Amino acid sequence: MKSKFRWIALLIMLLTGTALLTTGQPVQAAKQSTLKIGMEANYPPYNWTQTNANNGAVPIEGSRQYANGYDVKIAKRIGQQLHRKVVVVKTEWDGLLPALTSGKIDLIIAGMSPTAARRKAINFSQPYRKSTFVIITNKNSKYARAKKLSDFKGAKLTAQQGTLHYGLIKQLPGAKRENAMRDFSAMRQSLTAGTINGYVAEDTEYESFKTANRNITAINLNKMSGFHVNPDEAEVSIGVKKGNDQLLTAVNKVLAGISNHQRQQMMSAAVKQQPQIKTKHTNWFINMMHRYGGMILGGVGMTILLALVGTLAGFIIGLLVSIVRTMPDPTKTGNRWLLNFCKWLLAVYVEVFRGTPMMVQAAVIYYGIAQFWHVNLNRTIAALVIVSINTGAYLAEVIRGGIIATPQGQFEAASALGMTHNQQMWHIILPQAIKNCLPSITNEFIVNIKDTSVLSIISVSELFFVGTTIASQSFQFFQTYFVISMIYLIMTFTITRIFNLIEKKLAGSRNYNLMANQVQVGTPQDGEANN
Amino acid sequence: MTDEILRLQHLQKSYGDHQVLRDISFGIKQGEITTIIGPSGGGKSTTLRCINLLEQPTGGEIEVHGENILAAGYNLNAYRAKVGMVFQQFDLFENKNVLQNCMIGQELVLKRSKAEAKQIAMHNLEEVGMAPFINATPQQLSGGQQQRVAIARAISMNPEVLLFDEPTSALDPEMVGEVLAVMKKLAETGLTMVIVTHEIGFAKSISDRILFIADGVIAEQGTPAEILDHPQNEKTQKFLHNFRQNAF
Repeated sequence: MKSKFRWIALLIMLLTGTALLTTGQPVQAAKQSTLKIGMEANYPPYNWTQTNANNGAVPIEGSRQYANGYDVKIAKRIGQQLHRKVVVVKTEWDGLLPALTSGKIDLIIAGMSPTAARRKAINFSQPYRKSTFVIITNKNSKYARAKKLSDFKGAKLTAQQGTLHYGLIKQLPGAKRENAMRDFSAMRQSLTAGTINGYVAEDTEYESFKTANRNITAINLNKMSGFHVNPDEAEVSIGVKKGNDQLLTAVNKVLAGISNHQRQQMMSAAVKQQPQIKTKHTNWFINMMHRYGGMILGGVGMTILLALVGTLAGFIIGLLVSIVRTMPDPTKTGNRWLLNFCKWLLAVYVEVFRGTPMMVQAAVIYYGIAQFWHVNLNRTIAALVIVSINTGAYLAEVIRGGIIATPQGQFEAASALGMTHNQQMWHIILPQAIKNCLPSITNEFIVNIKDTSVLSIISVSELFFVGTTIASQSFQFFQTYFVISMIYLIMTFTITRIFNLIEKKLAGSRNYNLMANQVQVGTPQDGEANN
Repeated sequence: MTDEILRLQHLQKSYGDHQVLRDISFGIKQGEITTIIGPSGGGKSTTLRCINLLEQPTGGEIEVHGENILAAGYNLNAYRAKVGMVFQQFDLFENKNVLQNCMIGQELVLKRSKAEAKQIAMHNLEEVGMAPFINATPQQLSGGQQQRVAIARAISMNPEVLLFDEPTSALDPEMVGEVLAVMKKLAETGLTMVIVTHEIGFAKSISDRILFIADGVIAEQGTPAEILDHPQNEKTQKFLHNFRQNAF
């Protein structure tokens, strides 16, 4: 009976082991030498990503890329005066507030407006820019000549998800509010493709988009009668964590020292410096590989690492969980209670991680741990843990199914020989169960390759995240995503072939040799003695 | 009755309200061949499966050399190793080849060395005529061949008693003979055997004693001549009558 509980102990060790591993890095948000700035690095001209340090770009934490833009220029001014080195933490828009409140970043400088809702969560500095709101539409569109708000009747409009721009569409009577989009790249693409008639943005977005597409125009909303924007919302401010008044005061002091004229100059410089489409007359594919080949390769590596480690670790977790969950009831009452409790816990684990999206798990674990326990997880390690735990929950059920599906006769024959439950499992049942589960495990591996793309929520630079960055810089949406999808296909196809080979190998040869000479193993005396 | 190695005392087995075994009591002597016959659903297989505890009896006692194995704290795995079992569906380990099937129990349960286990396995495979097939997997063998390997696997454990649960029922008719021949050969070595079978002719030729089990009780028991030629119990008579009618 003891040996059965060895496995439970091992499982607990494994779980606490991963917990220890992840708690190994204490928070260093208070470290004074660097000033961590959160931004999308994907919202020109405020902020964008570039592959070199030109035009005074600032390194992006945890990558070989750099960020630049109006926000970065402001951040550098603040860093200079506070004598702190500026580092950009590239963060998805929706991840900015949790990153700030959990201490992963010191400031949000991301073209963010200080709305009332946001003010509840964080503090804002004085504005560092006042915006003009426009509708960006095609020059030849009938909405391009709109003079009053009601002229947008019937227009299909959208704006960025989670921004106040999206709410502004309600002020245009009769306009059709389409689903909000993730970023400006997607909206530019939709406008070009004609799926929307326009989108709400600031004049800076028009300034920058204009350089890429000459067929667009902007209609100023601020001047139309009836258009109302809360002054707070027409401005962009710097986000500071509540309670950090010292930093807030310092930031305000720096901002007060930058004149309107200087601000305008910085914005013009940013518009000029932002990534342009290079109109070289070479093949777009060669061009893309030349500029972004390294990034893509890095993304492929990260995706494979996540899927491989996630599937292997998930397999081990799933194996242990399924072994415990298929243990027969021990005879002693105390042991039975303990085992049933463990089984219940594991059932909860499986249900929770199977029943929630991995994207949500990633956000909850990555930001939650930082916020409540003040532990700053390394992004890659967090991603590996999340994929492993998630895969473990699925594979636990797959392997449990394999164990249950093994014919009862195999258990009985092993029992009849006097094998213990553990001996039966390791020598007879699991080898058969795992072999039968292999197609499902392959499936899980392939799902992992693709589904790790949702980990872009915690800004892990896997293939999809890299693809999004490239698309937003090069504006070659179709080409970029086409290349990315081909790479996914090649990866999944290759893995399928490898696993098919393994399956074939495990199935064994259908041929066997008759071993007539093996008779010699028995000695002549044995021939006489009978059992 | 001093040389009895195993005795069932008032054995009962119920599944919920359904009582399969009502009251089964009999002893097994060293070297004795006991055959259990009877109608389907009467409790033959359940009796056998209770002997090596694949089914947990709900009442009564199983005594081995006078000791009750159903008492708490008895080492059941050690007991099971001494009671071999041959199944209707052979149940060879599908992830092992023929030789490994005959070695694994010896190595894991009896803690024999690999060399010793292999020697014993080879010897027994030779006895059942399966030595040339040691590298084959169960799926590559015919039913009769699989059953002969299963017998070699069981006797490799040097059991005190070997139980056979309808060992030929799942076989094609032309394979029945090879398995029965192996069993006969085993019987001649003095191995204690308990056989559940529908092969009445075989039972007659091999058995020291025949039990007729019906409706969860031993309806009648005695020598093959007593039971098969001069049955006293009405149920036995009816069963044998039906059997002879259907046989030809």
